[in-house]
Amino acid sequence: MDFFFLQVQAQNSAENYFPIVIQILFAIGLLTLMIFGSDLLGPKRKTADKLQNFESGIEIKGNARQPIAIKYFLVAILFVLFDVEVIFFYPYAINFRALKWEGFLAVVLFVSSFLAGFIYIFKKGALKWEE
Amino acid sequence: MNAIIFSAIWGVLMMFTGAFVQSKTLPKYLAITGAALLFLLNGIELYNGTPIFNINGMNMLAITSMNLTFLEVIFAATLLFFMLSGRDVERVGEHVSEYFALIFFVLCGVSLSSTYNTLLLLFLGIEIMSIPLYVLTGADKRNLKSNEASLKYFLMGAFSTGILLMGIAFIYGGNTNASFYIDQIHLGVGKMPVMITVGVVLLIIALSFKVSAAPFHFWTPDVYDGAPTVFTSFMSTIVKAAGFFAFIRLFKTSFGPVQGQWQNLIVFITVATMLIGNVTAVFQQSVKRMLAYSSIAQAGFMLLALFALNQTADDGIILYSAAYSLATIGIFAILIKMNDYTIEGFNGLAKQQPLLGLVATICLLSLTGIPLTAGFTSKFFMLTAAVENGHKFWVVIVAVIFAAISAYYYFRVIQAIYFKEPSSAEPVIDAERVSGSFKILLAITAILILILGIYPEILIGWAHH
Repeated sequence: MDFFFLQVQAQNSAENYFPIVIQILFAIGLLTLMIFGSDLLGPKRKTADKLQNFESGIEIKGNARQPIAIKYFLVAILFVLFDVEVIFFYPYAINFRALKWEGFLAVVLFVSSFLAGFIYIFKKGALKWEE
Repeated sequence: MNAIIFSAIWGVLMMFTGAFVQSKTLPKYLAITGAALLFLLNGIELYNGTPIFNINGMNMLAITSMNLTFLEVIFAATLLFFMLSGRDVERVGEHVSEYFALIFFVLCGVSLSSTYNTLLLLFLGIEIMSIPLYVLTGADKRNLKSNEASLKYFLMGAFSTGILLMGIAFIYGGNTNASFYIDQIHLGVGKMPVMITVGVVLLIIALSFKVSAAPFHFWTPDVYDGAPTVFTSFMSTIVKAAGFFAFIRLFKTSFGPVQGQWQNLIVFITVATMLIGNVTAVFQQSVKRMLAYSSIAQAGFMLLALFALNQTADDGIILYSAAYSLATIGIFAILIKMNDYTIEGFNGLAKQQPLLGLVATICLLSLTGIPLTAGFTSKFFMLTAAVENGHKFWVVIVAVIFAAISAYYYFRVIQAIYFKEPSSAEPVIDAERVSGSFKILLAITAILILILGIYPEILIGWAHH
Protein backbone atom coordinates (compact mmCIF):
# COMPACT_ATOMS: atom_id res chain seq x y z
CA MET A 1 0.00 0.00 0.00
CA ASP A 2 2.77 2.43 -0.81
CA PHE A 3 0.25 4.88 -2.12
CA PHE A 4 0.83 8.63 -2.53
CA PHE A 5 -2.31 9.58 -0.63
CA LEU A 6 -1.43 7.60 2.46
CA GLN A 7 2.02 9.08 2.86
CA VAL A 8 0.71 12.46 3.91
CA GLN A 9 2.07 13.45 7.27
CA ALA A 10 0.12 15.45 9.80
CA GLN A 11 1.78 18.73 8.96
CA ASN A 12 0.35 22.12 8.32
CA SER A 13 1.61 23.04 4.92
CA ALA A 14 -0.32 23.73 1.75
CA GLU A 15 0.99 20.84 -0.33
CA ASN A 16 -0.51 18.34 2.09
CA TYR A 17 -3.91 19.45 0.92
CA PHE A 18 -3.13 18.48 -2.67
CA PRO A 19 -5.09 15.17 -2.48
CA ILE A 20 -8.16 17.11 -1.36
CA VAL A 21 -7.82 19.42 -4.36
CA ILE A 22 -7.66 16.38 -6.64
CA GLN A 23 -10.74 14.96 -4.95
CA ILE A 24 -12.68 18.21 -5.39
CA LEU A 25 -11.70 18.40 -9.06
CA PHE A 26 -12.74 14.76 -9.51
CA ALA A 27 -16.10 15.36 -7.81
CA ILE A 28 -16.84 18.41 -9.96
CA GLY A 29 -15.78 16.59 -13.12
CA LEU A 30 -17.92 13.55 -12.36
CA LEU A 31 -20.98 15.67 -11.60
CA THR A 32 -20.65 17.73 -14.81
CA LEU A 33 -20.19 14.56 -16.81
CA MET A 34 -23.29 12.94 -15.33
CA ILE A 35 -25.57 15.97 -15.61
CA PHE A 36 -24.64 16.83 -19.19
CA GLY A 37 -24.42 13.17 -20.14
CA SER A 38 -27.97 12.38 -19.05
CA ASP A 39 -29.17 15.59 -20.71
CA LEU A 40 -27.52 14.66 -24.02
CA LEU A 41 -28.29 10.96 -24.08
CA GLY A 42 -31.69 10.76 -22.40
CA PRO A 43 -35.06 11.03 -24.23
CA LYS A 44 -36.94 14.36 -24.07
CA ARG A 45 -40.74 14.69 -24.06
CA LYS A 46 -41.82 18.18 -23.00
CA THR A 47 -45.44 18.83 -22.12
CA ALA A 48 -47.01 21.91 -20.52
CA ASP A 49 -47.72 20.02 -17.31
CA LYS A 50 -44.18 18.76 -17.08
CA LEU A 51 -42.62 22.19 -17.43
CA GLN A 52 -44.65 23.67 -14.58
CA ASN A 53 -43.08 24.28 -11.16
CA PHE A 54 -43.71 21.43 -8.79
CA GLU A 55 -45.73 22.44 -5.75
CA SER A 56 -46.63 19.15 -4.06
CA GLY A 57 -49.09 18.32 -6.84
CA ILE A 58 -51.25 21.40 -6.24
CA GLU A 59 -51.93 23.74 -9.15
CA ILE A 60 -49.98 27.02 -9.11
CA LYS A 61 -51.91 30.04 -7.88
CA GLY A 62 -50.53 33.54 -8.41
CA ASN A 63 -47.21 34.99 -7.31
CA ALA A 64 -45.43 34.04 -4.09
CA ARG A 65 -44.07 37.56 -3.63
CA GLN A 66 -46.97 39.14 -1.80
CA PRO A 67 -47.06 40.86 1.58
CA ILE A 68 -47.59 38.57 4.55
CA ALA A 69 -48.54 39.72 8.05
CA ILE A 70 -45.48 40.33 10.26
CA LYS A 71 -47.08 38.18 12.96
CA TYR A 72 -46.07 35.00 11.16
CA PHE A 73 -42.41 36.02 11.10
CA LEU A 74 -42.50 37.02 14.75
CA VAL A 75 -43.97 33.73 15.86
CA ALA A 76 -41.55 31.81 13.65
CA ILE A 77 -38.47 33.57 14.99
CA LEU A 78 -39.64 33.23 18.59
CA PHE A 79 -40.31 29.55 18.00
CA VAL A 80 -36.78 29.04 16.72
CA LEU A 81 -35.36 30.87 19.72
CA PHE A 82 -37.20 28.83 22.31
CA ASP A 83 -36.83 25.61 20.39
CA VAL A 84 -33.05 25.90 20.33
CA GLU A 85 -33.14 26.18 24.11
CA VAL A 86 -34.32 22.57 24.32
CA ILE A 87 -31.23 21.34 22.47
CA PHE A 88 -29.05 22.38 25.42
CA PHE A 89 -31.01 20.08 27.71
CA TYR A 90 -29.82 16.96 25.92
CA PRO A 91 -26.16 17.17 26.94
CA TYR A 92 -27.23 18.28 30.39
CA ALA A 93 -29.60 15.31 30.80
CA ILE A 94 -26.78 12.92 29.93
CA ASN A 95 -24.36 14.48 32.43
CA PHE A 96 -27.03 15.22 35.02
CA ARG A 97 -25.31 13.37 37.91
CA ALA A 98 -21.74 14.21 37.02
CA LEU A 99 -22.37 17.97 36.99
CA LYS A 100 -23.83 17.96 40.53
CA TRP A 101 -25.43 21.05 42.05
CA GLU A 102 -23.14 23.44 40.25
CA GLY A 103 -24.43 22.19 36.91
CA PHE A 104 -27.99 22.38 38.16
CA LEU A 105 -27.52 26.02 39.17
CA ALA A 106 -26.04 26.83 35.78
CA VAL A 107 -29.02 25.28 34.02
CA VAL A 108 -31.46 27.08 36.31
CA LEU A 109 -29.71 30.35 35.45
CA PHE A 110 -29.95 29.51 31.76
CA VAL A 111 -33.65 28.61 31.94
CA SER A 112 -34.50 31.61 34.07
CA SER A 113 -32.91 33.98 31.58
CA PHE A 114 -35.02 32.37 28.88
CA LEU A 115 -38.07 32.66 31.10
CA ALA A 116 -37.29 36.35 31.55
CA GLY A 117 -37.23 36.67 27.79
CA PHE A 118 -40.55 34.87 27.56
CA ILE A 119 -42.17 37.16 30.12
CA TYR A 120 -40.79 40.12 28.17
CA ILE A 121 -42.24 39.09 24.81
CA PHE A 122 -45.53 38.14 26.46
CA LYS A 123 -45.82 41.50 28.19
CA LYS A 124 -44.83 43.30 24.98
CA GLY A 125 -47.72 41.61 23.21
CA ALA A 126 -45.65 39.76 20.62
CA LEU A 127 -47.91 36.71 20.97
CA LYS A 128 -51.24 38.56 20.65
CA TRP A 129 -52.74 37.18 17.47
CA GLU A 130 -55.95 39.18 17.12
CA GLU A 131 -55.70 42.92 17.17
CA MET B 1 -15.54 40.81 35.40
CA ASN B 2 -17.85 43.21 37.27
CA ALA B 3 -18.52 45.10 34.07
CA ILE B 4 -19.44 42.03 31.99
CA ILE B 5 -21.95 40.70 34.50
CA PHE B 6 -23.39 44.01 35.52
CA SER B 7 -23.89 45.45 32.04
CA ALA B 8 -25.83 42.34 30.98
CA ILE B 9 -28.02 42.46 34.09
CA TRP B 10 -28.69 46.17 33.62
CA GLY B 11 -29.60 45.58 30.00
CA VAL B 12 -32.26 43.04 31.02
CA LEU B 13 -33.49 45.45 33.68
CA MET B 14 -33.88 48.18 31.08
CA MET B 15 -35.79 45.76 28.86
CA PHE B 16 -38.24 45.00 31.65
CA THR B 17 -38.65 48.69 32.38
CA GLY B 18 -39.86 49.03 28.82
CA ALA B 19 -42.39 46.23 29.28
CA PHE B 20 -43.77 47.19 32.69
CA VAL B 21 -43.36 50.95 33.11
CA GLN B 22 -45.10 53.48 30.91
CA SER B 23 -43.04 56.53 31.88
CA LYS B 24 -41.08 58.11 29.04
CA THR B 25 -38.45 59.88 31.10
CA LEU B 26 -37.64 57.10 33.60
CA PRO B 27 -35.50 55.01 31.17
CA LYS B 28 -33.07 57.89 30.70
CA TYR B 29 -32.47 58.34 34.41
CA LEU B 30 -32.22 54.58 34.90
CA ALA B 31 -29.66 54.39 32.09
CA ILE B 32 -27.59 57.20 33.62
CA THR B 33 -27.68 55.38 36.97
CA GLY B 34 -26.59 52.18 35.24
CA ALA B 35 -23.67 53.81 33.45
CA ALA B 36 -22.58 55.52 36.68
CA LEU B 37 -22.75 52.19 38.56
CA LEU B 38 -20.76 50.48 35.79
CA PHE B 39 -18.13 53.20 36.05
CA LEU B 40 -18.04 52.80 39.83
CA LEU B 41 -17.95 48.99 39.95
CA ASN B 42 -15.28 48.80 37.28
CA GLY B 43 -13.32 51.46 39.14
CA ILE B 44 -13.53 49.42 42.36
CA GLU B 45 -12.22 46.38 40.50
CA LEU B 46 -9.39 48.45 39.05
CA TYR B 47 -8.54 49.86 42.47
CA ASN B 48 -8.84 46.68 44.57
CA GLY B 49 -7.89 44.13 41.96
CA THR B 50 -10.72 41.76 42.90
CA PRO B 51 -14.18 41.56 41.33
CA ILE B 52 -17.38 41.24 43.38
CA PHE B 53 -18.38 37.90 41.87
CA ASN B 54 -15.22 35.86 41.50
CA ILE B 55 -16.24 33.41 38.80
CA ASN B 56 -13.81 30.77 37.63
CA GLY B 57 -13.19 31.98 34.09
CA MET B 58 -10.72 29.16 33.25
CA ASN B 59 -8.18 31.85 32.34
CA MET B 60 -10.36 32.88 29.40
CA LEU B 61 -10.39 36.50 30.57
CA ALA B 62 -7.35 38.70 31.04
CA ILE B 63 -8.26 41.19 33.75
CA THR B 64 -5.28 43.54 33.77
CA SER B 65 -5.14 47.13 34.93
CA MET B 66 -4.63 48.28 31.35
CA ASN B 67 -7.82 46.57 30.16
CA LEU B 68 -9.78 47.87 33.13
CA THR B 69 -8.49 51.40 32.58
CA PHE B 70 -9.67 51.24 29.00
CA LEU B 71 -13.10 50.06 30.17
CA GLU B 72 -13.14 52.90 32.68
CA VAL B 73 -12.63 55.35 29.78
CA ILE B 74 -15.44 53.64 27.85
CA PHE B 75 -17.89 53.85 30.76
CA ALA B 76 -17.01 57.47 31.46
CA ALA B 77 -17.67 58.28 27.81
CA THR B 78 -20.98 56.38 27.93
CA LEU B 79 -22.05 58.22 31.07
CA LEU B 80 -21.27 61.52 29.40
CA PHE B 81 -23.09 60.41 26.25
CA PHE B 82 -26.21 59.43 28.23
CA MET B 83 -26.24 62.72 30.11
CA LEU B 84 -25.61 64.89 27.06
CA SER B 85 -27.78 63.08 24.53
CA GLY B 86 -30.23 61.08 26.67
CA ARG B 87 -33.06 63.41 25.72
CA ASP B 88 -32.33 62.92 22.03
CA VAL B 89 -32.50 59.14 22.45
CA GLU B 90 -36.04 59.72 23.74
CA ARG B 91 -36.87 61.56 20.53
CA VAL B 92 -35.84 58.71 18.20
CA GLY B 93 -38.95 56.61 18.70
CA GLU B 94 -41.33 55.06 21.17
CA HIS B 95 -39.20 52.15 22.44
CA VAL B 96 -36.91 54.31 24.55
CA SER B 97 -35.89 51.81 27.20
CA GLU B 98 -35.17 49.19 24.53
CA TYR B 99 -32.66 51.55 22.93
CA PHE B 100 -30.91 51.93 26.26
CA ALA B 101 -31.11 48.17 26.86
CA LEU B 102 -29.40 47.57 23.51
CA ILE B 103 -26.69 50.07 24.41
CA PHE B 104 -26.07 48.18 27.66
CA PHE B 105 -25.77 44.94 25.68
CA VAL B 106 -23.23 46.67 23.43
CA LEU B 107 -21.34 47.64 26.59
CA CYS B 108 -21.38 43.98 27.66
CA GLY B 109 -19.81 43.11 24.31
CA VAL B 110 -17.27 45.90 24.76
CA SER B 111 -16.33 44.56 28.21
CA LEU B 112 -15.86 41.08 26.74
CA SER B 113 -13.86 42.21 23.74
CA SER B 114 -11.49 44.30 25.82
CA THR B 115 -10.75 41.61 28.43
CA TYR B 116 -10.75 38.45 26.29
CA ASN B 117 -7.91 35.99 26.51
CA THR B 118 -9.14 33.46 23.96
CA LEU B 119 -10.16 33.79 20.34
CA LEU B 120 -13.60 32.40 21.22
CA LEU B 121 -14.35 35.26 23.59
CA LEU B 122 -13.01 37.74 21.04
CA PHE B 123 -15.57 36.42 18.57
CA LEU B 124 -18.37 36.47 21.15
CA GLY B 125 -17.46 39.97 22.29
CA ILE B 126 -17.39 41.37 18.77
CA GLU B 127 -20.71 39.71 17.93
CA ILE B 128 -22.44 40.94 21.10
CA MET B 129 -21.07 44.37 20.26
CA SER B 130 -22.29 44.36 16.63
CA ILE B 131 -25.74 42.77 16.72
CA PRO B 132 -27.45 45.41 18.93
CA LEU B 133 -25.86 48.05 16.69
CA TYR B 134 -27.63 46.67 13.60
CA VAL B 135 -30.91 47.18 15.45
CA LEU B 136 -30.00 50.62 16.74
CA THR B 137 -29.04 51.74 13.22
CA GLY B 138 -32.55 50.91 12.04
CA ALA B 139 -34.23 52.37 15.14
CA ASP B 140 -35.90 55.09 13.12
CA LYS B 141 -38.34 52.62 11.61
CA ARG B 142 -40.29 55.00 9.34
CA ASN B 143 -37.15 56.49 7.80
CA LEU B 144 -36.13 54.81 4.57
CA LYS B 145 -32.48 55.86 4.93
CA SER B 146 -32.27 54.38 8.40
CA ASN B 147 -33.69 51.10 7.11
CA GLU B 148 -31.23 51.03 4.24
CA ALA B 149 -28.31 51.73 6.56
CA SER B 150 -29.41 48.99 8.93
CA LEU B 151 -29.73 46.36 6.22
CA LYS B 152 -26.42 47.36 4.64
CA TYR B 153 -24.64 47.26 7.98
CA PHE B 154 -26.18 43.91 8.82
CA LEU B 155 -25.25 42.23 5.53
CA MET B 156 -21.71 43.60 5.47
CA GLY B 157 -21.25 42.90 9.18
CA ALA B 158 -22.42 39.32 8.76
CA PHE B 159 -19.89 38.78 5.98
CA SER B 160 -17.04 40.22 7.99
CA THR B 161 -18.02 38.06 10.96
CA GLY B 162 -17.79 35.04 8.71
CA ILE B 163 -14.30 36.11 7.65
CA LEU B 164 -13.33 36.63 11.29
CA LEU B 165 -14.50 33.13 12.19
CA MET B 166 -12.63 31.69 9.22
CA GLY B 167 -9.46 33.45 10.37
CA ILE B 168 -9.89 32.11 13.91
CA ALA B 169 -10.31 28.59 12.53
CA PHE B 170 -7.10 28.89 10.50
CA ILE B 171 -5.15 30.21 13.50
CA TYR B 172 -6.50 27.39 15.64
CA GLY B 173 -5.65 24.72 13.11
CA GLY B 174 -2.32 26.23 12.14
CA ASN B 175 -0.56 26.76 15.46
CA THR B 176 1.28 23.78 16.84
CA ASN B 177 -0.28 24.12 20.30
CA ALA B 178 -3.77 23.96 18.79
CA SER B 179 -4.78 26.59 21.32
CA PHE B 180 -7.51 29.20 21.44
CA TYR B 181 -5.67 31.12 24.16
CA ILE B 182 -4.12 34.16 22.56
CA ASP B 183 -1.01 34.07 24.72
CA GLN B 184 -0.34 30.41 23.89
CA ILE B 185 -0.57 30.58 20.12
CA HIS B 186 2.73 29.07 19.08
CA LEU B 187 3.94 30.25 15.70
CA GLY B 188 7.30 28.47 15.64
CA VAL B 189 10.48 30.15 14.49
CA GLY B 190 11.23 31.77 11.15
CA LYS B 191 8.63 32.17 8.46
CA MET B 192 4.99 31.77 9.43
CA PRO B 193 3.31 28.56 8.21
CA VAL B 194 0.86 29.04 5.34
CA MET B 195 -2.24 28.42 7.45
CA ILE B 196 -1.21 30.99 10.03
CA THR B 197 -0.51 33.54 7.29
CA VAL B 198 -3.96 32.99 5.83
CA GLY B 199 -5.47 33.28 9.30
CA VAL B 200 -3.63 36.51 10.07
CA VAL B 201 -4.71 38.09 6.78
CA LEU B 202 -8.33 37.08 7.34
CA LEU B 203 -8.25 38.47 10.89
CA ILE B 204 -6.77 41.76 9.63
CA ILE B 205 -9.54 42.02 7.03
CA ALA B 206 -12.35 41.27 9.47
CA LEU B 207 -11.12 43.53 12.24
CA SER B 208 -10.30 46.35 9.79
CA PHE B 209 -13.91 46.12 8.68
CA LYS B 210 -15.13 46.46 12.24
CA VAL B 211 -13.01 49.56 12.84
CA SER B 212 -13.80 50.91 9.34
CA ALA B 213 -10.24 51.07 8.03
CA ALA B 214 -9.75 51.51 4.29
CA PRO B 215 -10.21 49.61 1.98
CA PHE B 216 -12.97 48.04 4.10
CA HIS B 217 -14.62 51.35 5.02
CA PHE B 218 -17.36 51.59 2.37
CA TRP B 219 -20.21 50.89 4.78
CA THR B 220 -19.17 53.67 7.18
CA PRO B 221 -20.47 56.89 5.58
CA ASP B 222 -23.81 55.35 4.58
CA VAL B 223 -24.39 53.74 7.96
CA TYR B 224 -23.27 56.76 9.99
CA ASP B 225 -25.36 59.05 7.81
CA GLY B 226 -28.47 56.86 7.82
CA ALA B 227 -28.53 55.95 11.50
CA PRO B 228 -30.27 58.29 13.97
CA THR B 229 -27.64 60.90 14.89
CA VAL B 230 -27.51 59.96 18.59
CA PHE B 231 -26.60 56.40 17.73
CA THR B 232 -24.04 57.57 15.17
CA SER B 233 -22.39 59.42 18.03
CA PHE B 234 -22.30 56.22 20.10
CA MET B 235 -21.15 53.95 17.27
CA SER B 236 -18.41 56.17 15.96
CA THR B 237 -16.79 56.69 19.36
CA ILE B 238 -17.25 54.03 22.00
CA VAL B 239 -17.74 51.01 19.77
CA LYS B 240 -14.97 51.98 17.38
CA ALA B 241 -12.48 52.52 20.21
CA ALA B 242 -13.37 49.11 21.63
CA GLY B 243 -12.82 47.51 18.24
CA PHE B 244 -9.36 49.05 18.07
CA PHE B 245 -8.47 47.92 21.55
CA ALA B 246 -9.43 44.32 20.73
CA PHE B 247 -7.53 44.50 17.42
CA ILE B 248 -4.32 45.74 19.03
CA ARG B 249 -4.44 43.35 21.98
CA LEU B 250 -4.80 40.33 19.72
CA PHE B 251 -2.00 41.33 17.40
CA LYS B 252 0.34 42.35 20.19
CA THR B 253 -0.09 39.20 22.28
CA SER B 254 -0.33 36.61 19.54
CA PHE B 255 1.52 37.92 16.52
CA GLY B 256 3.81 40.54 18.04
CA PRO B 257 7.02 38.46 17.71
CA VAL B 258 6.53 38.05 13.94
CA GLN B 259 5.46 41.65 13.34
CA GLY B 260 7.98 42.05 10.52
CA GLN B 261 6.00 39.62 8.38
CA TRP B 262 2.67 41.44 8.48
CA GLN B 263 3.72 45.03 9.15
CA ASN B 264 3.65 45.95 5.45
CA LEU B 265 -0.03 45.10 5.26
CA ILE B 266 -0.79 47.35 8.24
CA VAL B 267 1.28 50.15 6.71
CA PHE B 268 -0.80 49.90 3.53
CA ILE B 269 -4.08 49.93 5.48
CA THR B 270 -2.95 52.83 7.68
CA VAL B 271 -1.87 55.06 4.82
CA ALA B 272 -4.93 54.20 2.71
CA THR B 273 -7.24 54.92 5.64
CA MET B 274 -5.69 58.32 6.29
CA LEU B 275 -5.69 59.20 2.60
CA ILE B 276 -9.30 58.23 1.92
CA GLY B 277 -10.66 59.56 5.21
CA ASN B 278 -9.01 62.95 5.01
CA VAL B 279 -9.31 63.64 1.30
CA THR B 280 -12.98 62.64 1.12
CA ALA B 281 -13.87 64.61 4.25
CA VAL B 282 -12.64 67.77 2.51
CA PHE B 283 -15.46 67.56 -0.05
CA GLN B 284 -18.37 66.99 2.35
CA GLN B 285 -21.06 69.62 2.78
CA SER B 286 -22.98 67.88 5.57
CA VAL B 287 -21.25 68.04 8.94
CA LYS B 288 -22.67 64.66 9.91
CA ARG B 289 -21.15 63.04 6.83
CA MET B 290 -17.92 64.98 7.33
CA LEU B 291 -17.69 63.53 10.85
CA ALA B 292 -18.24 60.04 9.40
CA TYR B 293 -15.23 60.50 7.12
CA SER B 294 -13.28 62.18 9.90
CA SER B 295 -13.89 59.07 12.00
CA ILE B 296 -12.24 57.06 9.21
CA ALA B 297 -9.34 59.52 9.23
CA GLN B 298 -8.99 59.25 13.01
CA ALA B 299 -9.07 55.46 12.64
CA GLY B 300 -5.98 55.83 10.46
CA PHE B 301 -4.20 57.53 13.33
CA MET B 302 -5.29 54.85 15.78
CA LEU B 303 -3.90 52.25 13.39
CA LEU B 304 -0.45 53.72 14.07
CA ALA B 305 -0.66 51.93 17.44
CA LEU B 306 -0.99 48.67 15.54
CA PHE B 307 1.95 49.68 13.40
CA ALA B 308 4.08 50.45 16.47
CA LEU B 309 3.02 47.76 18.99
CA ASN B 310 4.99 48.99 22.01
CA GLN B 311 4.34 50.35 25.48
CA THR B 312 3.86 53.92 24.24
CA ALA B 313 1.30 52.65 21.73
CA ASP B 314 -0.66 50.92 24.52
CA ASP B 315 -0.78 54.14 26.54
CA GLY B 316 -1.53 56.06 23.37
CA ILE B 317 -4.53 53.98 22.35
CA ILE B 318 -6.17 54.50 25.76
CA LEU B 319 -5.50 58.22 25.60
CA TYR B 320 -6.61 58.42 21.98
CA SER B 321 -9.86 56.61 22.76
CA ALA B 322 -10.57 59.07 25.56
CA ALA B 323 -9.65 62.15 23.53
CA TYR B 324 -11.47 61.09 20.38
CA SER B 325 -14.60 59.93 22.26
CA LEU B 326 -14.86 63.10 24.33
CA ALA B 327 -14.45 65.44 21.37
CA THR B 328 -16.76 63.49 19.04
CA ILE B 329 -19.50 63.03 21.66
CA GLY B 330 -19.30 66.76 22.38
CA ILE B 331 -19.55 67.87 18.76
CA PHE B 332 -22.32 65.36 18.02
CA ALA B 333 -24.31 66.51 21.07
CA ILE B 334 -24.30 70.02 19.57
CA LEU B 335 -24.93 68.77 16.03
CA ILE B 336 -28.08 66.88 17.10
CA LYS B 337 -29.61 70.12 18.34
CA MET B 338 -28.92 71.99 15.09
CA ASN B 339 -31.76 72.69 12.69
CA ASP B 340 -29.53 72.27 9.64
CA TYR B 341 -26.76 69.64 9.44
CA THR B 342 -24.78 71.38 6.67
CA ILE B 343 -21.73 73.53 7.34
CA GLU B 344 -23.81 76.63 6.47
CA GLY B 345 -26.14 75.55 9.29
CA PHE B 346 -23.37 76.40 11.76
CA ASN B 347 -23.12 79.98 10.48
CA GLY B 348 -23.26 82.45 13.36
CA LEU B 349 -23.57 79.84 16.10
CA ALA B 350 -21.16 81.75 18.34
CA LYS B 351 -23.33 84.90 18.24
CA GLN B 352 -26.54 83.12 19.18
CA GLN B 353 -25.13 80.49 21.57
CA PRO B 354 -21.65 81.63 22.70
CA LEU B 355 -21.00 78.66 25.00
CA LEU B 356 -22.04 76.07 22.42
CA GLY B 357 -19.85 77.75 19.84
CA LEU B 358 -16.87 77.71 22.19
CA VAL B 359 -17.30 74.04 23.14
CA ALA B 360 -17.75 73.03 19.51
CA THR B 361 -14.54 74.90 18.69
CA ILE B 362 -12.61 73.16 21.49
CA CYS B 363 -13.90 69.77 20.32
CA LEU B 364 -12.90 70.49 16.72
CA LEU B 365 -9.48 71.77 17.80
CA SER B 366 -9.00 68.59 19.79
CA LEU B 367 -9.93 66.48 16.75
CA THR B 368 -7.39 68.43 14.69
CA GLY B 369 -4.72 67.97 17.35
CA ILE B 370 -3.91 71.52 18.44
CA PRO B 371 -1.74 71.76 21.61
CA LEU B 372 -3.40 72.11 25.02
CA THR B 373 -6.19 69.77 23.93
CA ALA B 374 -6.39 66.02 24.50
CA GLY B 375 -6.21 65.47 20.75
CA PHE B 376 -2.68 66.84 20.66
CA THR B 377 -1.27 64.66 23.43
CA SER B 378 -2.87 61.53 22.04
CA LYS B 379 -1.59 62.22 18.52
CA PHE B 380 1.80 62.96 20.08
CA PHE B 381 1.79 59.57 21.85
CA MET B 382 0.86 57.79 18.63
CA LEU B 383 3.61 59.45 16.61
CA THR B 384 6.18 58.82 19.38
CA ALA B 385 5.20 55.16 19.42
CA ALA B 386 5.58 54.95 15.64
CA VAL B 387 9.02 56.56 15.80
CA GLU B 388 10.09 54.20 18.60
CA ASN B 389 9.15 51.24 16.44
CA GLY B 390 12.17 52.10 14.33
CA HIS B 391 10.87 50.83 10.98
CA LYS B 392 9.48 52.83 8.06
CA PHE B 393 9.91 56.32 9.38
CA TRP B 394 8.09 57.75 6.35
CA VAL B 395 4.76 56.58 7.78
CA VAL B 396 5.18 59.14 10.57
CA ILE B 397 5.77 61.91 8.04
CA VAL B 398 2.70 60.86 6.06
CA ALA B 399 0.63 60.88 9.25
CA VAL B 400 1.73 64.42 10.11
CA ILE B 401 0.88 65.65 6.61
CA PHE B 402 -2.60 64.16 6.81
CA ALA B 403 -3.11 65.67 10.27
CA ALA B 404 -2.39 69.02 8.64
CA ILE B 405 -4.89 68.34 5.85
CA SER B 406 -7.54 67.50 8.46
CA ALA B 407 -7.26 71.06 9.77
CA TYR B 408 -8.91 72.26 6.56
CA TYR B 409 -12.28 70.63 7.07
CA TYR B 410 -12.38 71.03 10.86
CA PHE B 411 -11.49 74.72 10.63
CA ARG B 412 -14.15 75.31 8.02
CA VAL B 413 -16.76 74.57 10.69
CA ILE B 414 -14.98 76.82 13.20
CA GLN B 415 -14.91 79.55 10.55
CA ALA B 416 -18.66 79.14 10.05
CA ILE B 417 -19.26 79.30 13.80
CA TYR B 418 -17.31 82.52 14.41
CA PHE B 419 -16.84 84.49 11.20
CA LYS B 420 -20.03 84.01 9.17
CA GLU B 421 -23.43 85.63 9.47
CA PRO B 422 -26.50 83.37 9.83
CA SER B 423 -27.83 82.50 6.36
CA SER B 424 -31.51 82.84 7.32
CA ALA B 425 -33.54 84.76 9.85
CA GLU B 426 -34.41 81.59 11.80
CA PRO B 427 -32.21 80.74 14.79
CA VAL B 428 -29.54 78.03 14.20
CA ILE B 429 -30.68 76.24 17.35
CA ASP B 430 -34.12 76.41 18.93
CA ALA B 431 -33.41 77.92 22.34
CA GLU B 432 -35.79 75.58 24.19
CA ARG B 433 -33.71 72.56 23.14
CA VAL B 434 -30.68 73.89 25.01
CA SER B 435 -31.23 73.46 28.74
CA GLY B 436 -29.02 74.79 31.53
CA SER B 437 -27.78 71.33 32.53
CA PHE B 438 -26.87 70.63 28.91
CA LYS B 439 -24.69 73.72 28.88
CA ILE B 440 -23.00 72.75 32.16
CA LEU B 441 -22.29 69.25 30.84
CA LEU B 442 -20.85 70.65 27.63
CA ALA B 443 -18.59 72.92 29.67
CA ILE B 444 -17.45 69.88 31.69
CA THR B 445 -16.67 68.04 28.43
CA ALA B 446 -14.55 70.94 27.23
CA ILE B 447 -12.73 71.14 30.59
CA LEU B 448 -12.05 67.37 30.48
CA ILE B 449 -10.57 67.75 27.01
CA LEU B 450 -8.28 70.51 28.27
CA ILE B 451 -7.28 68.57 31.43
CA LEU B 452 -6.37 65.49 29.38
CA GLY B 453 -4.41 67.75 27.07
CA ILE B 454 -2.30 69.15 29.91
CA TYR B 455 -2.03 66.19 32.32
CA PRO B 456 -2.37 62.98 30.31
CA GLU B 457 -0.60 61.20 33.20
CA ILE B 458 -3.81 61.00 35.25
CA LEU B 459 -5.20 58.53 32.77
CA ILE B 460 -2.02 56.69 31.87
CA GLY B 461 -0.97 56.33 35.50
CA TRP B 462 -3.97 54.08 36.06
CA ALA B 463 -3.01 51.75 33.24
CA HIS B 464 0.25 50.98 35.07
CA HIS B 465 -1.46 50.78 38.46
